[in-house]
Amino acid sequence: MAIFDVHVIIENKPGISDPEGDTILNDLVLKGTKKAVSKIKTAKMLKFTIQEKDKRSAQSKVQEICDELRIYNPMVSKVTIAVFDA
Amino acid sequence: MSLEPQELSDLKSKIGREPTSTELQIIAAEWSEHCSYKSSKKHLKMLPMTGPLVIKEKGYDSGVLDVGDGYVVTAHIESHNHPSAVEPYGGAATGVGGVIRDILSAGTRPIAIFDGLRFGNIEKDQHARWLFKNAVTGVADYGNCLGIPTIGGEVEFDDCYQNYALVDVAAIGFGKKESLIKNHVKKGDLVVLLGGSTGRDGIGGSQFASDSLESEDRSAVQIPDPFIEKLIIEAILEARNQKLIHAMKDLGGGGLSCAVSETADALDVGIEMDVEKVHTRESDMHPDEIMISESQERMLVITSKTKLKKLQAICKKFHIGCSVIGHVKSDNQMHVKKGKETFANLPTDVVANATLLDLPSKKPPYLETIEKERKLKPITDYSKLMIKLFASPNIASKIWVYGQYDHEVGIRTVTKPGHDASVLRLDNGKYLSAKIDGNPKHCYINPREGAIGCFEEACRNVVCTGAKPIGMLDHLQFGSPKDPEIFWTFLESLKGLTDFAKFFEIPCVGGKVSLYNETPAGPIKPTPIIGVLGLIDKKPSVPQKILNNDCLVIIGDTKDELGGSEYFEYVHKFIGGKCPVVDFEDSKKNMFSVLKVIGDRLVKSVHDCSKGGLAIAVSEICMTNNIGCKVHLDAVPGEKLPVDRILFSESHSRYLLALERKNLKRLENILKKNRVSFKEIGEFGGDKIQFVDSAKSIVDLSVERSQKIWLNSLKNLVLHS
Repeated sequence: MAIFDVHVIIENKPGISDPEGDTILNDLVLKGTKKAVSKIKTAKMLKFTIQEKDKRSAQSKVQEICDELRIYNPMVSKVTIAVFDA
Repeated sequence: MSLEPQELSDLKSKIGREPTSTELQIIAAEWSEHCSYKSSKKHLKMLPMTGPLVIKEKGYDSGVLDVGDGYVVTAHIESHNHPSAVEPYGGAATGVGGVIRDILSAGTRPIAIFDGLRFGNIEKDQHARWLFKNAVTGVADYGNCLGIPTIGGEVEFDDCYQNYALVDVAAIGFGKKESLIKNHVKKGDLVVLLGGSTGRDGIGGSQFASDSLESEDRSAVQIPDPFIEKLIIEAILEARNQKLIHAMKDLGGGGLSCAVSETADALDVGIEMDVEKVHTRESDMHPDEIMISESQERMLVITSKTKLKKLQAICKKFHIGCSVIGHVKSDNQMHVKKGKETFANLPTDVVANATLLDLPSKKPPYLETIEKERKLKPITDYSKLMIKLFASPNIASKIWVYGQYDHEVGIRTVTKPGHDASVLRLDNGKYLSAKIDGNPKHCYINPREGAIGCFEEACRNVVCTGAKPIGMLDHLQFGSPKDPEIFWTFLESLKGLTDFAKFFEIPCVGGKVSLYNETPAGPIKPTPIIGVLGLIDKKPSVPQKILNNDCLVIIGDTKDELGGSEYFEYVHKFIGGKCPVVDFEDSKKNMFSVLKVIGDRLVKSVHDCSKGGLAIAVSEICMTNNIGCKVHLDAVPGEKLPVDRILFSESHSRYLLALERKNLKRLENILKKNRVSFKEIGEFGGDKIQFVDSAKSIVDLSVERSQKIWLNSLKNLVLHS
């Protein structure tokens, strides 16, 4: 058994609007001189520290937890999970 | 797409050719049940919709009532059931947004929001708790961000909403009569799309709402953006003040397809529009997608060429998108182009008027036996039972819900949530009282009497504040209308509401029908929701603190009507029995008398008896006033009944009056003169809720202990179970 850090990034699916990201882009970034920026998307990240036998099972365990507890809504959100050695 | 073969051939014969793919999309959106009311429209006409205060104008999305001195109140009700069942936060929030734009489109400022929420069994079902928690947050976040108070509503739980949610939102607007949008346009006027950009979210939402949830692909999710909505409200009201708006409609179900075709049809003109002019979120959107996208926070405004510059300046000031997408023509055609290429060209009356259906109806067989009662287990300890009821989700205080809503912003709220009905101060010195009510448990047992009961309960709540009902909103929510048995229950409810509205001369000023509310376990129970608006000419009856020795008087008879009661369903797990029936004459007499004694300032507070019956109504008075009360069940007027039935019967037309003893004689004289059934049944004082039958103690509970359970159990259930 080893300790892993698992990062879960939850963001709106492509095509679903992201008012917070749009507001940061339009009313903050583009108001200044940073005209090269064309898109900002907001997301939420959860960092899990978990004890599992390998990276794969750490990832699937965290996915399972997020699915079961409805930490995100599969209809709306896209979830990306990345695993690191702690 | 939900166009049926018959509808497709209808369309072909009406236009005399094969429709294009864009035309098919437009028609499918507009002819969906959600937009066209094709199953219900023929029957909805039975409701009385006119009255001395009702102002009618073509193309209004909300009801308009004249409240005197040059002011009007607007009201509308909407549901967002299907979206909320999939994404409760966004679904509930965008529901609020939609109904607010309906209010705005008449040219009035939204001043209050109501929400009626229904979910499955939150005690047992984690999914129901998730839906409940997120829907409440959705309503709260949206309303709070907009600075519009959410001042009331109702929350109910029933097994029939398993894995589903009914999210009803109503809104009230206020404005000057002279500022109402007149909805008159001329040839050559410009059609402007204003607000958020059009994206792929919510594609096909209205068709989605017209199919049952099992079969859809769940792609219709809408993301709320209350800050754009707030900017739209301010921009529109400024444009209204500068008289820049000739006609206006909000974009709801069916998106541009419905807004354009319905506006053109209602105003008897044609509209030519170019999808390339629509400001979109993504660059590669197909015309079909642009036409049916249900992206939120958009308004369609018709203005003239000369006023356009000013309108654009306002939009620029508020940082909202504004595109001229087309113009008004005189040919009654809805012409959709992309650049020079035509994608759709249809007569507006064909688009906006789906072939209405005359669906068969048949009385459901279950109704033949439902009134028969089962033998119930006798109750040994009523105090314990009362504690159980205080903690039950349907009876527990909803403070956890309305505590999340800003209900005071705008400083109009005189009576806040937690009482019978909320009261708003209007600018002309009058007061507006409003309430929404529903009761699917009663409606399941008797669709007609149940619906009338909801109507009467909403009236009762409004009357308790001293207001005279002036208008009603109905929201009829049922399962699939293609099932003749369900359609029968729809018709029965509608007939009942019509009879009550006619008898009391309360016009229906707005409404909505939501069908195909089906869960994997079957159709929902018939769930009509009734909103009633009441007007108070002078000062409202704000509840005063009840003190020792004040007396408790009940108006109205308590009858053996426990079908659909919390006592039968929650305590005995029994669905059946005879549901409460409103006696129209008694109802009118009681209502009139309550208004009279409130007007004469004889009472400290008035509370109606509803869910949980007399036992719960009295306890609620005690718990909100921190005072005990001793009630004599043998004094309660009505049939001679066993104590459990007196305690928990949910008979209608009953009011509890708390008053100083010195006013009792005058009160009795008025009630006797009006031949109202009433009795003094108790006296306030001490710190115990007590019910006695002759000398025998039935219930004996500490107010403090009851209060703790009543106030906290819903929160504990949602957050800690």
